[in-house]
Amino acid sequence: MYLKLEKIRKQYEDKVAVDDLSLEVPQGAIYGIIGPNGAGKTTTIRMIMNIIAPDSGRILFDGREVDGSFVDRVGYLPEERGLYKKMKVSEMITYMAELKSCPASDARKRIDPWLEKMDLAQYRESKVEELSKGMSQKLQFITTLLHEPDIVILDELFSGLDPLNIELIKGVLLDLKRQGRTILFSTHVMEQAEKLCDYICMINRGQKVIDGKLADVKAQFGSNVLQVDMEGDGGFIRSLPGVKSMDEFNNYIEIGFEAGADPDVILKGILDKVKIRRFEVMEPSLYRIFIETAQIDPSDLKQEEGDSHV
Amino acid sequence: MSKFLVVMKREYAQVVKKKSFVVMMFLTPALMAAFMVVPALLATMESSSADYLAVIDRGDQGIGEQFAEALRGYTIGDTDDPAYIVEGVINVDPSDEKRFAEAYDSLVVQVSEQNLKAFLVVSPEAHLADSNLLMVTNSDDFITLRRVEDQLSNIVSSHRIRIADVDLTVDSVLALTRSVDVPIRDTQGEAIPFMIKYFAALIFVMLIYVMIITYGATLMRSIIEEKNSRIIEVLVSSVSPFQLMAGKVVGLGLAAFTQVAVWVVLGAAIFMATSSGGLEIDPAVGRMVFNPVIVTFFLLFFISGYIMYSSLFALIGSIVNSDKEAQNFIFPITISLILPVMVAFAVVRDPGATWVQVLSFIPFIAPTMMLERIVFVVPSLTEYSLFSGVVAEATLSFILVCLTTLGVVWLTAKVFRVGILMYGKRPTLPEIIKWVRK
Repeated sequence: MYLKLEKIRKQYEDKVAVDDLSLEVPQGAIYGIIGPNGAGKTTTIRMIMNIIAPDSGRILFDGREVDGSFVDRVGYLPEERGLYKKMKVSEMITYMAELKSCPASDARKRIDPWLEKMDLAQYRESKVEELSKGMSQKLQFITTLLHEPDIVILDELFSGLDPLNIELIKGVLLDLKRQGRTILFSTHVMEQAEKLCDYICMINRGQKVIDGKLADVKAQFGSNVLQVDMEGDGGFIRSLPGVKSMDEFNNYIEIGFEAGADPDVILKGILDKVKIRRFEVMEPSLYRIFIETAQIDPSDLKQEEGDSHV
Repeated sequence: MSKFLVVMKREYAQVVKKKSFVVMMFLTPALMAAFMVVPALLATMESSSADYLAVIDRGDQGIGEQFAEALRGYTIGDTDDPAYIVEGVINVDPSDEKRFAEAYDSLVVQVSEQNLKAFLVVSPEAHLADSNLLMVTNSDDFITLRRVEDQLSNIVSSHRIRIADVDLTVDSVLALTRSVDVPIRDTQGEAIPFMIKYFAALIFVMLIYVMIITYGATLMRSIIEEKNSRIIEVLVSSVSPFQLMAGKVVGLGLAAFTQVAVWVVLGAAIFMATSSGGLEIDPAVGRMVFNPVIVTFFLLFFISGYIMYSSLFALIGSIVNSDKEAQNFIFPITISLILPVMVAFAVVRDPGATWVQVLSFIPFIAPTMMLERIVFVVPSLTEYSLFSGVVAEATLSFILVCLTTLGVVWLTAKVFRVGILMYGKRPTLPEIIKWVRK
């Protein structure tokens, strides 16, 4: 296993931030750590990065406990983004690369292709403070990757990115995967994680809820859900026979049904009352899996998802 | 390249490339000169036009006339223009109180309207008591007042000699009793005037003070900025906190050193230019500035003091979240460094006094205090070995500063690595103690 966490634990005063967490990240995979705010994602990642030390447990990279050489092989994007405002874009990139033991001459050669790719070429000699927030995010992403790390660790990957940049960065991550690099990221936006991950680990209150290959997790969870987009109020669906749960989203309703229940029957029950624009029987979403496995009140989670991440 | 060097290079470049660095390089010595030299020059500068004086003489010994005559000997600077114009001597009979009152009142009006700088009242029997003389003026021009006193002393003494009826001429008595101006030489057989020592000490101490405060505060601010912009987290995931701190301290230290080096070169160039241009620089100044003992200890205390204090600034920067929060911590640093300047007058009188010795062994005060003592003593290599007198004390004091510096660096390294990741909340003292113990 490429990166392996063995029962790592971190306690602050009386609060256990990470509780004997173990996980295994295979080489070349895109691995997502998913959980609500305060679940312990950032603490876990900071321990991997050796920024804070775990109270107990071991972290192994490539079969060895992480040490100084790990630092240069990893690209790290912290949850709290930050750059030197007064530095020029090209200087900023070179400096961060040099701090990862990448010679300045190599770094300079790689700057232009990266700036092209991220649509920042015209800002090469601008000061960082002149960039917009979205552009700074992309610049920080470049500084994370320019030294060509074997493993990339991205905390709250999607926070602060607009949809266009999310697509851009997803594309870059898929390129990296194709080159055989390993990507570990955390997020509380489950829909995004679902589209990107090969492997997931869901954590809540410092503990692992479920982990493994995304497809396996879904298969293990079993029952499918019915996604319905319709006109009018769907409140009555909850009381239809065979319906186990119902979650209302902005544009659609997700209905979980009891084992053995026939989705056709449920669909008919809905059609009797309202007009359906679209429906689909599909695998359960990570969101659904998380709520059911962690046994938490969905209203808590929704509130957190609505927050812009701090 | 080692990461320490990468950090050092950036910190150095960030300071040296700034326009303000070049501006301050020339402005600081100019300002220092302005603050120390100009007031002193202005105080000794003579007025460019003649001062008007007057005399009311109620005696019969002609003191008023003699005084007016004596003052005519003073000229303005190197010119032949008289420095004083005595508006005439008003002789009043001692019994004529009415006329005296009129003359007195009209002169008072003239002085208060600044038509007259001063007037002198000579009562009868001036030679018997000083209270029989009176100078009325609103001016504190100490040069003029001293000249007036000098001349009146001479005139009154002459009268006393004449009345005493000794068997000697007045001039010979004056010559015999003239005051003694004792020549002062140090053990090197040379004289370094007090003012030169004083200014030299002030310049050396101020240089250390200004450099430490300027670059220490720059270091502190850069750490606060890295904390606030959150870039610190990326940094410590790439370099160890100690490498980061050391890179910053050394990088900024080199920038400070660059600045001092430029000043030394500029100073030497000015020195060469003026001495070849025929303008003699006081050899006493040369003996201070080129004294190997002073220069060596200046460098030692500058470097060790800078590392000690900049580590302290790094520690402060790692636990506070804004410049404002840092202010409370900076005040004691400023006081410790500037203390030797505040007590300089007392120190120059007795650089070996017990309280001065004690202060020069307190590590946080030592870099400037000990240096001030050395400058005041002006030790020479032939006279002092490493093991005697002020040089031995300075060596010991330097060792104490170095040990303290090691302690501060150790402490800062401990607190720094935890403090830089504490956003928003300032840690309490017990928390900091806990980090140090870990």
